[in-house]
Amino acid sequence: MDRREALRSVAILLGTAISAGTTDMLFSSYTIPESEKNAVTFTADQLKTLTEIADVIIPTTKSSGGAKAAGVGKFIPMMINDCYTAKQQQSFYNGLNAFEARAKKTYKKSFALIPLVERKKMLTVLRQETLDQKANKVPEMVDITYFFTVVRDLTSLGYFSSEIGCTKAREYVAIPGSYDGAYPLKPGQKSWAT
Amino acid sequence: MNLNINLKAENTYDAIVVGSGISGGWAAKELTEKGLKVLMLERGMNIEHIKDYDGAMKNPWDIKHAGRLTEEMKRTHPVQKRDYPYNEVTEKWWVNDLECPYTEVKRFDWYRGFHVGGKSLMWGRQSYRFGDLNFEENAKDGYGSDWPIRYKDLSAWYDYVEKFAGISGQNEGLQEILPDGQFLPPMDLNIVEKSVKESIKQKWGNERLLTIGRVANLTVPHNGRGNCQYRNLCSRGCPFGAYFSTQSSTLPAAVETGNLTLRPYSIVNHIIYDKDTKKAKGVAVIDALTNKTMEFYAKIVFVNGSTLGTTFILLNSTSEAHPNGLGNGSGQLGHNLMDHHFRCGADGDFDGFEKYYTYGRRANGIYVPRFRNVGKDKRDYLRGFGYQGGASRQNWQKDVAELAFGTEFKEKMTTPGAWRMGMGGFGEMLPYYENRVYIDQTKKDKWGQPVLAIDCEYKENEKKMRQDMMNDAAEMLEAAGAKNIRTYDNGCHPGMAIHEMGTARMGKDPKTSVLNEWNQMHEVKNVFVTDGACMPSIGCQNPSLTFMALTARAADHAVNELKKGNL
Repeated sequence: MDRREALRSVAILLGTAISAGTTDMLFSSYTIPESEKNAVTFTADQLKTLTEIADVIIPTTKSSGGAKAAGVGKFIPMMINDCYTAKQQQSFYNGLNAFEARAKKTYKKSFALIPLVERKKMLTVLRQETLDQKANKVPEMVDITYFFTVVRDLTSLGYFSSEIGCTKAREYVAIPGSYDGAYPLKPGQKSWAT
Repeated sequence: MNLNINLKAENTYDAIVVGSGISGGWAAKELTEKGLKVLMLERGMNIEHIKDYDGAMKNPWDIKHAGRLTEEMKRTHPVQKRDYPYNEVTEKWWVNDLECPYTEVKRFDWYRGFHVGGKSLMWGRQSYRFGDLNFEENAKDGYGSDWPIRYKDLSAWYDYVEKFAGISGQNEGLQEILPDGQFLPPMDLNIVEKSVKESIKQKWGNERLLTIGRVANLTVPHNGRGNCQYRNLCSRGCPFGAYFSTQSSTLPAAVETGNLTLRPYSIVNHIIYDKDTKKAKGVAVIDALTNKTMEFYAKIVFVNGSTLGTTFILLNSTSEAHPNGLGNGSGQLGHNLMDHHFRCGADGDFDGFEKYYTYGRRANGIYVPRFRNVGKDKRDYLRGFGYQGGASRQNWQKDVAELAFGTEFKEKMTTPGAWRMGMGGFGEMLPYYENRVYIDQTKKDKWGQPVLAIDCEYKENEKKMRQDMMNDAAEMLEAAGAKNIRTYDNGCHPGMAIHEMGTARMGKDPKTSVLNEWNQMHEVKNVFVTDGACMPSIGCQNPSLTFMALTARAADHAVNELKKGNL
């Protein structure tokens, strides 16, 4: 067993890159014994919406393509179907629909078709609502805030394990061949992908 | 009649080795090299070196679920999923818990791998000798039975196995606590670890020491195997053969002798006892694929089925002469189960090293040998603990606002951030008679065998020790100038360290122990147990190197006894 891995996972939990809320959800899902695959099915339009949400969460920057280019739009529904309980899948699905309904109500269009500045605005509002929900616990907000937490985490997970995320946004060396514990940090040095 | 005789001849060997993990591989190597015809039985599938390491060369983006468990994996692995070793990439190497259930009288996380190589493929590779402090402590404080051997009995065998296995590390001259060894060049400490090492030395002098982990990863090519490439993906199997496993090391040596027969999918159900000779005459096997039963015969039997796997076989080997399990006249078989307790320590940030990063992924960390209850130090608990851990440079993720997203989030997640160092204690657990396993006849596994019930818990001594495990780490980090120091105790259940030991202990007295000083059953002289089951106490060191040394020593003794006609 790799003990350093255990330590690292502790360290990761400390950071807010993965939120405490999601950690709870990950662990709570560990108690479900039945086969739960594919409790929900995503339509082509929903995939588009997920793709555009992911691309706001991790956008294209100077160095590298964003979540859309990295294929995170397909990664998210696959993960939802394979790695979440039926109840969680349904909650995520309901949250996605509620979010999309907001776009249609405000802009008369799917989230995927509104301007980028409006997409950012919608997600900024939802982020704040998700933070507030921790204290408020409004029943009607359960699904949509769960959706935001999970879509953000899966975007991050999918992106930083993608080829673009590893080799362009971060730096990846498949076979380092040696170890240097005092490696001079170069200007513009990116984090290592592992 | 003839048919039976022929069948028996075909199924007869000089020695049978039950299990192919770290100790079984060593038994097979030693016995075949000494000229014995050996049958090695493995209950699971075969895994061929390099060829069958499916995940070894996968990039992060080749891993479908980014390492996360699917609901189906959780469903079929309700125990294995409890901790991180079971993951998407090494999934096949951990048992399907539904096929081989056990009874948890109290929570016990039993991590098992049924395949050639056993846990030698997935192990943590940390390799430390036990010192006389460890061998003498049972006798001194009265817990458990006295070890029938001392360090001097084992030191040459440690030399022997280290030279073959290839252990990298640094000699530090701590003879009583953590003896030096035959090491390949050590891996490097990184710049923060070196600074912490220096601070500890300044504050505690010779009382405390930080050193690089002693690890069964090759820092230079060794015995035809390649050196470590610093990928830190060991548990997927190493295509360079750079860490010790059955596949990379002992199995090729045994095969080369021409004396080895390896039979996978062979579940040993019990050892066949011959009441006339008062010896084992062989083993009864269930073919895991066909469920057919068969028998194999040999002059000696080495039981290396992993601590609890071995004890299950012994408990299940009942006869008129051994109604409570083979060689269990002492009543100690199944008792004194131990595991290290860990998941407890401290971590902190280090400023001042921003100009440095690391290159390569070192498959190793730091080690702080035990310093509690050593020399004049006396605590309100017995025994002690060592630390493992390391420093690394994180991303800026901890500066990310909760649930943040967008360009700034991406930048922070891709830029080297603060250095952080963690130290986690590994504590000794005392041997308690009441921590035990026994056979539960009310449940059956996939092959119709009864199952083990496990009744084991940590007690007050372990709980008290955990306070020091947190505080001492924090104290050392503080002395080294760490900031944002946090102590943690993430809780621990027996089994989690995957260092389960005991249940067939060695000892001088047949009335109070199962095995003698040669790992030989007091009551059945041609049966040897050299895996974790044999341990009368567990120290705080990672134990596999000790299993290797005990195995090589026992094999040497067994062959000598065979030659003398004593077996």
